[in-house]
Amino acid sequence: MSAQERRALLLLVAGFTVWSVAFVVLYGMQALGCAFGWGDWHRPMLIGAYLLSLLPLGWLARQRPYSTGEPATTLSISALWANRAALVAGILVYFPVTFATVCI
Amino acid sequence: MAGCSGALSALDPAGPRAANLATLWWVMLIGATLLFALVMVLLLLAYTRSDWISRVTPGQWIIGGGLMLPVPILVLLTGTALVLGEQLLPHGEAPVRVEGEARQWAWTFRYPGTAMPPTETLHIPAGQPVDIVVTARDVIHSLWVPRLGGKIDAIPGHPNVIRLEADEAGIYWGQCAEYCGEGHDGMQFRVEAHDPAAFAALMEGGNP
Amino acid sequence: MSQSDLSPIRLHRALNDIWGTPPGLGRLSSVNHTVLGRRFMVVALIFFAIGGLLSMLIRAQLATPNSAFVGPEIYNQIFTMHGTVMMFLFAIPMFEGFAIYILPKMLGARDMAFPRLTAYGFWCYLFGGSILIIAMLMGVAPNGGWFMYTPLSSRPYTPGINADVWLLGITFVEISAVTAAVELFVTILKVRAPGMSLIRMPLFAWYMLVTSGMMIVGFPPLILGSILLELERAFGLPFFDPTRGGDPLLWQHLFWLFGHPEVYIIFLPAAGALSTIIPVFAQRPILGFRAIIAAIVAMGFLSFGLWVHHMFTVGIPHLALAFFSAASALVAIPTAIQIFAWIGTLASGRPRWDIPMLYVAGFFVVFVIGGLTGVMLAMVPFNTQAHDSYFVVAHLHYVLVGGFVFPMLAAIYHWMPHISGRQSLYRLSVPAFWFIMVGFNLTFFLMHLTGLMGMPRRISTYPSNWGWDWLNLLSSVGSFILTMGFALVLADIVMQFRFGRPFRRDPWHAGTLEWAIPTPPTNYSFAALPRIDAPGDQLAPRLIGPQLAGGRGYLGFPRDGQMETLGVDMVTGEAEQLIVLPQSSFLPLWTGLATGSIFVALLFGFYWLAPLGALLTVVLFLLWTVKLGRKHDSGPVDIGMGEQAPRDVECPGNVTVLANRTAVVMDAILFSSLLFGGLFLLVVAPNWDGLAPLDLPLWLLALALMASTAGAGFSWLARRANASGLLIGSAVAQVLAVVVLAVLMAWVPEPTGHARQATMFALLAYATIHTALGALMSSYGIWRVQQGFVSTRRNTELVLAWLWNGYAAAALVPALGLVLMLALAGDGA
Repeated sequence: MSAQERRALLLLVAGFTVWSVAFVVLYGMQALGCAFGWGDWHRPMLIGAYLLSLLPLGWLARQRPYSTGEPATTLSISALWANRAALVAGILVYFPVTFATVCI
Repeated sequence: MAGCSGALSALDPAGPRAANLATLWWVMLIGATLLFALVMVLLLLAYTRSDWISRVTPGQWIIGGGLMLPVPILVLLTGTALVLGEQLLPHGEAPVRVEGEARQWAWTFRYPGTAMPPTETLHIPAGQPVDIVVTARDVIHSLWVPRLGGKIDAIPGHPNVIRLEADEAGIYWGQCAEYCGEGHDGMQFRVEAHDPAAFAALMEGGNP
Repeated sequence: MSQSDLSPIRLHRALNDIWGTPPGLGRLSSVNHTVLGRRFMVVALIFFAIGGLLSMLIRAQLATPNSAFVGPEIYNQIFTMHGTVMMFLFAIPMFEGFAIYILPKMLGARDMAFPRLTAYGFWCYLFGGSILIIAMLMGVAPNGGWFMYTPLSSRPYTPGINADVWLLGITFVEISAVTAAVELFVTILKVRAPGMSLIRMPLFAWYMLVTSGMMIVGFPPLILGSILLELERAFGLPFFDPTRGGDPLLWQHLFWLFGHPEVYIIFLPAAGALSTIIPVFAQRPILGFRAIIAAIVAMGFLSFGLWVHHMFTVGIPHLALAFFSAASALVAIPTAIQIFAWIGTLASGRPRWDIPMLYVAGFFVVFVIGGLTGVMLAMVPFNTQAHDSYFVVAHLHYVLVGGFVFPMLAAIYHWMPHISGRQSLYRLSVPAFWFIMVGFNLTFFLMHLTGLMGMPRRISTYPSNWGWDWLNLLSSVGSFILTMGFALVLADIVMQFRFGRPFRRDPWHAGTLEWAIPTPPTNYSFAALPRIDAPGDQLAPRLIGPQLAGGRGYLGFPRDGQMETLGVDMVTGEAEQLIVLPQSSFLPLWTGLATGSIFVALLFGFYWLAPLGALLTVVLFLLWTVKLGRKHDSGPVDIGMGEQAPRDVECPGNVTVLANRTAVVMDAILFSSLLFGGLFLLVVAPNWDGLAPLDLPLWLLALALMASTAGAGFSWLARRANASGLLIGSAVAQVLAVVVLAVLMAWVPEPTGHARQATMFALLAYATIHTALGALMSSYGIWRVQQGFVSTRRNTELVLAWLWNGYAAAALVPALGLVLMLALAGDGA
């Protein structure tokens, strides 16, 4: 039980930590691309980074700490929901890379 | 809404851009009022103990109230606002480009490529979009003509562009929206929108 | 050893003698969380009153057009101080004080993990706040607005000391936020009653855990920004001056990187109080416990992705705005989950109606409106109209008064009986509520319209022709009604203390542990610590209380005249160590005064005096440890209930180690902000063209890096082999690194000439300070070893030496890397 809880505590913050890293990377890429004139490559690179960031988020959103057959603890269910929320937040918040004007 | 009119009122738009912003506001106001009423009714029912409400399960409260209700509204609203924002951006070059420079505590507008000397009043043509390139000489200011569009900050070292448009010729008012020291109150400026022909004459004649 | 056969009265006397605060002037030496929590709250309420008076002056000035009540030079100080006082001197310290008072009691602990740090934080808060108020009375209060935008707050445009008062006073106050963040974080994770696993913690503790985590990440950017701006003002290092390669937008990023999470840092403790109060009055456990935990974690993270929504009009490209706009809209969802969880709790319980619930209802009305206008402001196009107008003033007051003041009023009415030991007799609270509710909405609801009709914030007066006259007059009338409401609350509190009806225990039938102790609380809180076997907010204080008073539980006996509480495994909550807390001491006061001397010296430009003050502060801090620790291993000792646990000094995961790790994280975030600042200037700032690359002496960089790495290596070996002699090597190597870095700092050509050199200077200064800190920690380890405090089991000093030396060496890599990049800048331009 205690091992599951320790893992759940990590998972609880894992999804949104990835989300935060993706946020910094995408915002940074947006700024660098405009400053150094990445031009036509700018948006494809942003979209690539967007899709890439969804991979770990998607993986985390499917991690059930109780997959070993132990009963689900409260914390592990919270962690699962937090990670699903992080995935949705990732999909929605970074979606504008597909259409919004990059440098104006 | 007669009570909302005024020379500086964003609710009394005089151009297509400001009108879009005002429409967005009215839509959001209606939506917000409905949501507020819904929450208040639920809160009231929780206390008046209607039978129906005590049978709502925890899952329904959290999933229904916390997710199903707000998520579609927020996605729709943010999406609409972003599309509107895209339309309002100063894409490309507007036919007329004016430079606005702020200092403590006044504005100077310049009309590059014309015979017009710098003015304290902003002259623009009516019926067409105008780009204002805004900078500041000392501290941060912000250019705001509520009836013609939103605002943009005037930041030393970072020229910013805002696109404004007036439907008709006339007098409008702008002001500084970013606190800039002791004279912040007094940084209003006049905006004169002219018929295109009169505007062209003004730019050539250079006599405001 | 066990003396649990003592009668409750004799046990009380024995513990009281150990935990008591001395009388008279000795009160100033108190380190007790109950005493200090109360002091924090009282001082915060005094500042609230001052901030309130200032708002009265604002409304008096704006009641009529062309007002001649005060001129702009005074008005600017008034509104700056109103915002500053309410945010930094009221809201943050208020919830800190509340958490310090209530958290240990909810968690079943006798005190916070670091009582003297609590006291030190309090003194920093009191002295820093006093600097601001004294400056205001002398007419030199800050006048740049509470977010102090540069260049307005830079030397050329604010030549007086007004801005310095803000930067130094607020940084001084923020020391208390830093200490509180570390202390709350460690206390929640480690200092609980046995059996209280993470998931059995009451929800309030979860809220405070997330809050303290946010403070650990949120405050460093503000502190860094303040330091950089003060360096610019005092020594001319141009970080924010666009004419010399600085950028005023860097200040805005650093400020709002703190400033937006700050709003949630204030809201979460209040929401935690609501999540505690509402189930008590609904008479059922909170609904959606698991969803709420997920929601507050989501909120904690999302709130760091919103800061640019304060900067929608500064000219940032639309894509970047879109990220922040979407995140700002999305943060409404965890809020909605909590709102519906609370309503659902009431709906499916058996709700009772009492005074706290009146204020909770007020919270719902006001906060929901604030949340809805918040979503509106998150929409970029609308924001370009509403930003910096009275619409924003209305919104932020709905959020902060709705999200903090109303919940705090509910909390005051809920927990005041705990503090006073009395229940209210008079129902002044009811008319007070209506005055506050009506006054507040009259004042601020109309401001939405005032703003949309074009009134910008922070103007000292307005002409009569814009149509704002009647709105402003009604707002002013409303604000005076609001003030009367607060005056009634104050009167009600006084009456309760004076005439209230005493009660035995737990007047509300609450489910949290703080009601299991005598009220007003004893200085040791728990005569014995309970064993927790149910969720921490579904306990029965009425049944637990008498047992604990009789000493039936853990540590239900006095031992060696020492203040003892238990440390637990952070996840399972099983007893892990016996924590011995330090007793009353004047050292926090002296250290606070010494710290104050640094700030006062800087304020008045006696720059040579500041290093002396810093040295004195360090020496005093070292004195804190003189009596701390033990010179012999004692092995596991009896903790009651037939269990044994080692003492904290013999436990590898003790609170000191955890607190230092937390402090390193905070420090690293400050450093990341500095790195961000350097990169930001390099990429975005104006006037970087035409710079000549600098010929950096690379061998000095390499030497500093090698010396510092060697220092870290020695400290690692010292810990690994428990060979404390190696610390000497560590200290010597780090001193060498300090010398080399100091030479490099002196080498930087003309740091005041351009932001590039200024940033290099700041990076090198950071590296110098941290290698010096590494040397200090190693030397401290050597000293402690000689004193006999260190053994194979008692090796905390060795762990800390490695921690700080390792961090110093690790930080040197990006610091020197960026220095190198900056030196090469301009190569291609």
